[in-house]
Amino acid sequence: MNETSRPWYWIGLSLIGCVIAIYVLFPVFWLFLASFKTQAELAKLPVAFWPESPTLEAYTALFSPTHQKGQLLDWPGLIGNSFFVAVTSTILVVFFGTLAGYAFARLSFPGRDLILGGLLISRMFQGAALLLPTYRLMNMLGLQDSLIGLVLLYSAFGLPFATWIIASSLREIPRELEESAMMDGATRLQSMVMVVLPLATPALITAAMWHFVGAWSEFAFASILLESNENKTVTIGLASFVELFTLEFQYVGAAATIVALPIMLVFFFGQRYFTRGLLAGAVKG
Amino acid sequence: MQNDRFLAYFMILPVVAAVLAFVIGPTYNVATLSLTQVVMGQERGFGGLDNFRALAADPVFWTVMKNTAIWIVGGTVLCVTVGLGVGTFLAVDSRLTTSLRVLILLPWVLPDVVTAMAWKWMLHGQVGIIGQQLAATGLTDETISFLGDPDLVMWTLVVVLIWRKMPLVALILCAAIRSVPDDQLEAARMDGATAFERFRFVILPNIAFSLTAVTVISMIWITAEFALPWIMTGGGPANASQIMATYIYQQSFEFFNWGVASAMSVVNLVMLAAIVGLYLYINRRSWASEGDK
Repeated sequence: MNETSRPWYWIGLSLIGCVIAIYVLFPVFWLFLASFKTQAELAKLPVAFWPESPTLEAYTALFSPTHQKGQLLDWPGLIGNSFFVAVTSTILVVFFGTLAGYAFARLSFPGRDLILGGLLISRMFQGAALLLPTYRLMNMLGLQDSLIGLVLLYSAFGLPFATWIIASSLREIPRELEESAMMDGATRLQSMVMVVLPLATPALITAAMWHFVGAWSEFAFASILLESNENKTVTIGLASFVELFTLEFQYVGAAATIVALPIMLVFFFGQRYFTRGLLAGAVKG
Repeated sequence: MQNDRFLAYFMILPVVAAVLAFVIGPTYNVATLSLTQVVMGQERGFGGLDNFRALAADPVFWTVMKNTAIWIVGGTVLCVTVGLGVGTFLAVDSRLTTSLRVLILLPWVLPDVVTAMAWKWMLHGQVGIIGQQLAATGLTDETISFLGDPDLVMWTLVVVLIWRKMPLVALILCAAIRSVPDDQLEAARMDGATAFERFRFVILPNIAFSLTAVTVISMIWITAEFALPWIMTGGGPANASQIMATYIYQQSFEFFNWGVASAMSVVNLVMLAAIVGLYLYINRRSWASEGDK
């Protein structure tokens, strides 16, 4: 008898599945629920799971300039800054990544594979070791405390992966399609834009989503480069709650929900594209 | 053909220039800075290895190295072990595992600032739900302060790290397990192999490459992770959770010890280079085949 048909097999499977689901969801959901609780509920230990009298007070406080929490940081401003940085750098990354991706996939030139490999390896070195020199570089360029500076930095960090993912998808598109367009009198540029790019759209979406998520979530470089309050991004805003020694977790919960929301939307609506890039990206670090 | 070559260099120029300016340039810059005397951000000429001597003389240095070892080695081993377990489970065919394969990515896509805040609250010394529940069920006498206890803090951070990084490892291994040829598994089953024997003698040899690759990649990811430990503990209490990344940040932007900070950055880069070298060595075949296309 096959083990998969025994009842205990399915019971065990479901049990493990539930444990994993709770393990994955609980930490985030718990903080999300806190955003709807009142100060009194959070002070009563142990804190009840569901909000007893759900309220949106934490959200309205963050968005009202007259409330003590809203005064501290201008949350609509932070959200605007984060969107500006993430969207602008995504556009740059997809545009220049497509140009380079096309060259790597379609044209042959000396050093092609070496340069592409070098770009990918450079990705693995983006970490804490670059914090200090980047800070010095941005000061030298006069781009400290500037959202434009952050856009340039994030684009540089995101381009190698976008280039690679676009190049590998362009390689899958048969050359014949392009060649026949060029036989019919199209220039290389025309055939690239009219014939190849429409077929590569899924890869462009994957690259854009990956970059948007990374740029929206970035904390380390934003925290060393942005100084004035009106230039800060949402991750800096959320992290600033650490320093306020406080047990008012409804505000932390509300801020965390605001930071997580765009990412969750991208993830759930574009899940198909996301996982595609994921397994590809994983193999190449 | 000549035209194509110019066109190609023109097309890749922005990407190459960006990486040169913002990755290669700064890497070179921090290396030269580490050999320079710096006082409060002012460069005072060539300093030889003075910055490295100052770094080694810092009593915190060895704590940082020990913590970094726990962070990277402990983190990677647990990440891959737990990931292998979860990945094996997810590879089972059922509607439940199919939806779990999507759900499990949630910790991985969330910004690490959000993760840090969520866990910081759960692990809070007085009101954190984990400490509260342990005390309530009588497992501990009083609420444990996971992030406030120097003996616990490093491993607590590793647990949070696993939560964040394990899902992707599990998914990669799940994909590898699912691509194990069915006829091999069927043949083993016909020969009367138990589930464990099938795992040990059929699945493991088939996924050995993925397993090694994912181990080295996890090491790179974990070395790069900064926001999580920084926001959760800031390296504290009393440097008990100070790792390379947080030490570099603190020395650079809180103490303005740019000499020591750049020396530690170079140590960090050398370590990364070793891991990346290992990765390239493991992947030498797939990189070579990439060139053939």
